[in-house]
Amino acid sequence: MTEESNSPMTDTDSTTTGPLVPEDITADSPFTLPGFFDALSEGRLMAARCTECDTHLLPPRPACYGCGSRAVTLSEQPRTGEVISYTSVNRPPSAFDQLAPITVAVVELDSSARLTGRVAASLEDVAIGDRVELRVCDPEAVDIDPDFDLSYEEEWPIHVFELL
Amino acid sequence: MSTAHLIAVGSSPLGKTDLPGRDLFSRALAEAFEELPDPADVVDGLYVGAQSERYENQIMQGTLMAEWAGLRNVPAERVEACAAAGALALKNAVRDVRAGVHDAVLACGVEKMTAGGTEGATNALGAAFERALEQRSGITAPATYALLARRYLHETDATERDLGRIAVKNHRNAADNPRAMFQQAVDIDTVMDAPDVAPPLKLYDCAPVTDGAAAVVVANDEVAADLQSRPDAVRVAGVGSAANNLAVAERDLTFVEGANVAASTAYEDAGVGAADIDVAEVHDAFTVCEALLAEAAEFAPEGRGIETVEDPGDRSAGWTDVQINTSGGLKARGHPIGATGLLQAVEAYEQLTGRAGKRQVADADTALLINEGGVADAHTVAHVLTAQ
Repeated sequence: MTEESNSPMTDTDSTTTGPLVPEDITADSPFTLPGFFDALSEGRLMAARCTECDTHLLPPRPACYGCGSRAVTLSEQPRTGEVISYTSVNRPPSAFDQLAPITVAVVELDSSARLTGRVAASLEDVAIGDRVELRVCDPEAVDIDPDFDLSYEEEWPIHVFELL
Repeated sequence: MSTAHLIAVGSSPLGKTDLPGRDLFSRALAEAFEELPDPADVVDGLYVGAQSERYENQIMQGTLMAEWAGLRNVPAERVEACAAAGALALKNAVRDVRAGVHDAVLACGVEKMTAGGTEGATNALGAAFERALEQRSGITAPATYALLARRYLHETDATERDLGRIAVKNHRNAADNPRAMFQQAVDIDTVMDAPDVAPPLKLYDCAPVTDGAAAVVVANDEVAADLQSRPDAVRVAGVGSAANNLAVAERDLTFVEGANVAASTAYEDAGVGAADIDVAEVHDAFTVCEALLAEAAEFAPEGRGIETVEDPGDRSAGWTDVQINTSGGLKARGHPIGATGLLQAVEAYEQLTGRAGKRQVADADTALLINEGGVADAHTVAHVLTAQ
């Protein structure tokens, strides 16, 4: 995994649609967290998109909370978007002490999917509407206490947004 | 279907106390049963709301609290939906009584939040948020609500000072509430000069870490009539609940849809409308929540929830005359997570039975409670209570 991947990200949909059969729910599938983070490690941010109401579901899941449909398809997401809201975590959970204060934002990607993440900027440099780009980091490159990780999370990448 | 009555209420001291969770429960229970027979002679089971086992390394609170109440071999269950756990306990008790499963049920809640200090509380509360993407980005409860507040201030005319005035109002109310953790008023300058927690939220925008417990007895018509010591019991007229989104990213940041569904369901169940509500206890874990919930409960027009601080005559057209968080709310009465929903019921009970002292709202006969867990309305439980 690279610190930053430049692989193209488009909103190209796969042909996968639900309802998923039990055999599809494996750790290889982006419809599960291991599969989602495997893809993210390779620079692909995956969401599910509801084929009935167009709601984006990030991370992907087998059903749409917007309308209840299970006709969901995988959709690779763009890595750019804009800040919808933001704040600073001045006293984070103890495992994140080394990163404090942490600027965090809700970002609406250019696909309309939304994702919360840290912003690699100080609070005063961020405003609603700012353009940002997703960067995917090796977990060992981010100063979070490794004890925070559950056993299955240890290899999962950590994401952060950078101001454009 | 039987009617469910709230026949007795009790609460423990609220704040940083020297009592562990089970003893806080004993205090609340002792008050609730001051004028009643032994719990074992009144209730057939219990529900206990408790947010986290991390505070005292104890699950199985259903069994524990049943033992401490002298109940044996009866159903006794812990329920959990973060800060909505207390109202969830009440909801389940009401359901059982209405369905005729039990004649009377104890609904209680307890949280010993100070056991692990501020760090322990931060880490325990963090478990209420989405794990894979949001917890792993370092978010906290104040930060998730700050994301709501920032967007609310962006989309409406409201200012940080307007949010601060909600804290001032709730502290003023708590000054008249002998149960409250902070029984003193604060002025707006103190609120505005306080340190940032998660901008735009400052210290006084945030409910405190609180130890506490509360207990209420829910009974059917026969039990309520038999126990003449509390002839002025209140009726649980309506119940509603809804789960919305767990991740803050995926929710509407300025409309708490799930709370609107829960409140509307409770109104419909009770056969009342928003305009009928005289007093409301809504989940002001952070000041912005009170504004959002005033709108979700349909007390206020969209974007005008901030006027909760104004006297009814001074509010915009479209506002009702409701008085919100007469107890001081979570902000100033205190917010022992699993007990909060029941503390809301305690305040409504006192308002509807004329026991609210200096806080008494004249002719209050219908109350709404909104208790939430997770970010905003990740889980909401709403109740409508009416005087008999």
